[in-house]
Amino acid sequence: MSGHDSKYFSTTKKGEIPELKEELNSQYKDKRKDAVKKVIAAMTVGKDVSSLFTDVVNCMQTENLELKKLVYLYLINYAKSQPDLAILAVNTFVKDSQDPNPLIRALAVRTMGCIRVDKITEYLCDPLQRCLKDDDPYVRKTAAICVAKLYDINAELVEDRGFLDALKDLISDNNPMVVANAVAALAEIQENSSRPIFEITSHTLSKLLTALNECTEWGQVFILDALSKYKAADAREAENIVERVTPRLQHANCAVVLSAVKMILQQMELITSTDVVRNLCKKMAPPLVTLLSAEPEIQYVALRNINLIVQRRPTILAHEIKVFFCKYNDPIYVKMEKLEIMIKLASDRNIDQVLLEFKEYATEVDVDFVRKAVRAIGRCAIKLERAAERCISVLLELIKIKVNYVVQEAIIVIKDIFRRYPNTYESIIATLCESLDTLDEPEAKASMIWIIGEYAERIDNADELLESFLESFPEEPAQVQLQLLTATVKLFLKKPTEGPQQMIQVVLNNATVETDNPDLRDRAYIYWRLLSTDPEAAKDVVLAEKPVISDDSNQLDPSLLDELLANIATLSSVYHKPPDAFVTRVKTAQRTEEDDYPDGSETGYSESPSHAVDSGASPPATSTNAPYAAARQPSPVSPAQVPDLLGDLVGLDNDNSNNAIVSIDQPTVPAGPPLPVLLPASSGQGLQISAQLIRRDGQIFYSLLFENNSQIPLDGFMIQFNKNTFGVAAAGPLQVPQLLPGTSARTLLPMVLFQNIAPGPPSTLLQVAVKNNQQPVWYFNDKFSLLVFFTEDGRIERSTFLETWKSLPDSNEVSKDFQGIVVNSVETTLDRLTSSNMFFIAKRKHANQEVLYLSAKIPRGIPFLIELTAAVGIPGLKCAIKTPSPEIAPLFFEAIEILLKS
Amino acid sequence: MGIMFTRLFSSVFGNKEARILVLGLDNAGKTTILYRLQMGEVVSTIPTIGFNVETVQYNNIKFQVWDLGGQTSIRPYWRCYFPNTQAIIYVVDSSDTDRLVIAKEEFHAILEEEELKGAAVLIFANKQDLPGALDEAAVTEALELHKIKNRQWAIFKTSAIKGEGLFEGLDWLSNTLKSGGG
Repeated sequence: MSGHDSKYFSTTKKGEIPELKEELNSQYKDKRKDAVKKVIAAMTVGKDVSSLFTDVVNCMQTENLELKKLVYLYLINYAKSQPDLAILAVNTFVKDSQDPNPLIRALAVRTMGCIRVDKITEYLCDPLQRCLKDDDPYVRKTAAICVAKLYDINAELVEDRGFLDALKDLISDNNPMVVANAVAALAEIQENSSRPIFEITSHTLSKLLTALNECTEWGQVFILDALSKYKAADAREAENIVERVTPRLQHANCAVVLSAVKMILQQMELITSTDVVRNLCKKMAPPLVTLLSAEPEIQYVALRNINLIVQRRPTILAHEIKVFFCKYNDPIYVKMEKLEIMIKLASDRNIDQVLLEFKEYATEVDVDFVRKAVRAIGRCAIKLERAAERCISVLLELIKIKVNYVVQEAIIVIKDIFRRYPNTYESIIATLCESLDTLDEPEAKASMIWIIGEYAERIDNADELLESFLESFPEEPAQVQLQLLTATVKLFLKKPTEGPQQMIQVVLNNATVETDNPDLRDRAYIYWRLLSTDPEAAKDVVLAEKPVISDDSNQLDPSLLDELLANIATLSSVYHKPPDAFVTRVKTAQRTEEDDYPDGSETGYSESPSHAVDSGASPPATSTNAPYAAARQPSPVSPAQVPDLLGDLVGLDNDNSNNAIVSIDQPTVPAGPPLPVLLPASSGQGLQISAQLIRRDGQIFYSLLFENNSQIPLDGFMIQFNKNTFGVAAAGPLQVPQLLPGTSARTLLPMVLFQNIAPGPPSTLLQVAVKNNQQPVWYFNDKFSLLVFFTEDGRIERSTFLETWKSLPDSNEVSKDFQGIVVNSVETTLDRLTSSNMFFIAKRKHANQEVLYLSAKIPRGIPFLIELTAAVGIPGLKCAIKTPSPEIAPLFFEAIEILLKS
Repeated sequence: MGIMFTRLFSSVFGNKEARILVLGLDNAGKTTILYRLQMGEVVSTIPTIGFNVETVQYNNIKFQVWDLGGQTSIRPYWRCYFPNTQAIIYVVDSSDTDRLVIAKEEFHAILEEEELKGAAVLIFANKQDLPGALDEAAVTEALELHKIKNRQWAIFKTSAIKGEGLFEGLDWLSNTLKSGGG
């Protein structure tokens, strides 16, 4: 709006809204345009004009670009508050995105991205798709950004509509501006996604490097930022990239310079040749120095970044310390940052120069700056051993000026210097003591008292000095009280004379009885007890040699520094905080959920209702399997799901009837996939079926796990079993809910026996057919274990056992030797057999062999009389069975072998 | 307002426009009719989510024609466009006999609207080019047009694709509006 449009802000009439409404519906174009301007004016000053939504939207289809822009502005502001009516604008967007004027097309697509209304986003996909392929680069680049906006509103939609691929295609666009914006959009999307979406390949790398030289400065920033995340394959590639990027260091835009620096620093990590690194460091110095001649705000940003850079690569600016010397008219925030960097760059070579500067600063007027300058001298002393003496002499000179806060600050840093170089510079203590009376800040006082205590034996009047402080003990801050206490104890231990003894009594009394500060009291009691128990031990403790302190001017943790360096030229590098410390993203939470998901579906927490009945079955296994269940599901699952999950896992071990006892003995054995996969996803067009016949609570179930790895939802599952030896068939319909892509469902299908018995020799083969509404019928084979059919009432009385054994002809006896089976313990073996419904009847010893007699029954009351012969601990087991149906014996041997072998 | 005054008005203020709404169920052919009238050619259309507005000059009258989307979801918002409307063009897909009942209900609901009391109604029995399309008599019957009272109305057989019947309808409309019926 031009200047004279300000008059639109000045209406104060009553009934403004109806008046505007009327004007918006005027048949005269000019009047309508004026009305829209009035509406926007009202909107900008905060009046609610959302009730005019339809009237304003009706002005949207116009040739007049200015009017159109105003309506779009209105829409962006109010579409959210009128989500239903926003749909009225859709058609105009669609039309405008096909307008002959590229400006209008771009305007439409840009505005569309700003309208965050779920109901209409879907309609905007087609126009967006068109605009991504527009002939005009301006439209394409606007569309690229729009994809990033849309991703924020509805990520799924963006992925489904293939916009990500379209964006990736735009990286190869012939227009550098489009490339830059596509990169920016992809980088933005990547930040919000857990999956790798945007990865630079060697192909895109060359595209980006080419576009870098041609696009606008802000486009260059986007590309450089993207490149800085690229991990070069080797040093050579890194060198090549850096070589292509180095010219950016000369750019006038400081954002480009900083991004280029970031990118080069990242790639430098890979470069091994010291020559190349030295060369690059040399090249990076001048642009960084140039940044310091910009406005103070930019200087500050540059300094914060340089602070990080010199921590990693001090050599870059080692010779440039002069540019960090403070100018008298620098703003205080720049001065402070410069001081920090000066400390970091101070070296034996330049320390004289630096000290001169610091001394100068210490005489300035700004108290904070002066204090920091004094501290800086101290830090240099700590950092540079050879310069320590010079630093101290500067500090002493400063003390002589007798400016109160300088003296106090100096004393604080001198204390640190003493801690760094113990027993080296005590000669200056006398000078310090002269300023004793002027100390009024707690930290300075505490420091001075510490010095007196530490060097009490060398200060003749140490007791007098301390005594002067003791007078005001109760009024002192805790910091000073603690130091006084310690110093007095030190004094007493070093000079156990009468004076100090009296002092210590006063102090201990004050610090225990008269104080409310628990820290002080505790420390006082410790000293008291130490002194009264064993003064020699107290000496060893209190006067022990302390470790020297070190320089903390490189205070950032290396991993944090790495992260911050990767974020140079962002707020993160100015705050010196990692981005997630101050940017909260909703997406991060979702990310973890997604990560958990496959884990969860594997262990099956999308449980079908039919299973709930069976949870908690098989109590003996529960306790041993609980930790196992917990280990398998480390991610937090809501408590409500836990019992179900447990029951399920427990049940699974029971399913796996062969292994049931094994898992009690060795609960830590990794069970692998819980159910055997019968139809792998590769042959089921993405549908994977795992299943096993199991026995639970006296009933036979078919335990199934369906996993949908296809792209479409699957529903209408049905199952059919072919004729088989025991006539196993489904007792009811299969109950599987609709399976969305990426989900799974578990179900227990109750089974019945003797439905359609297959003639011919007995076999464990079970042929299954599964169909759903979307896919062809799937056929697969399963093998069941005979143990599943052993009923709970298989126990036979001893007498009956003998009778039956005798009544059956010898031809009904079948036996087999298992060389691979070792019976290590009769008890364990029996437990294992019992849990599979084979019941112990009697036992006898034959030479060194144990002979066990057991019974079992399969449905229709067919008994199995079992005789097991084995020597404990020696491989080899003989199994003989007698049964009316000896033809089933092979199935029995197969099952028992699996059961006892594992 | 008399005929003379209207004529005078329109000759003095050349940009005086008659506001016309094109309504009807989705897929009746409203957008196609609009652009046939405006540009004289058949454009390929997609379902209108929202509205189209174009100015059509015919017989010395400027029509500001609003074509509103016919989807069930958008029909509730038709009423936002009712004020100051001089005429309604109601478009019916004559071949879609299954939905004629819905078309009838929507039509009579519109006629009930207070804000459209004075509006003339022009019905286009569209898609006459399709086999099985009902003629105007059958559409009149189906829409129960004989129930219309105190209002000027007319029905025309049209085919937006072939361009038949549209301008005859517009002729009627311009005459009706000029004679002050609207």
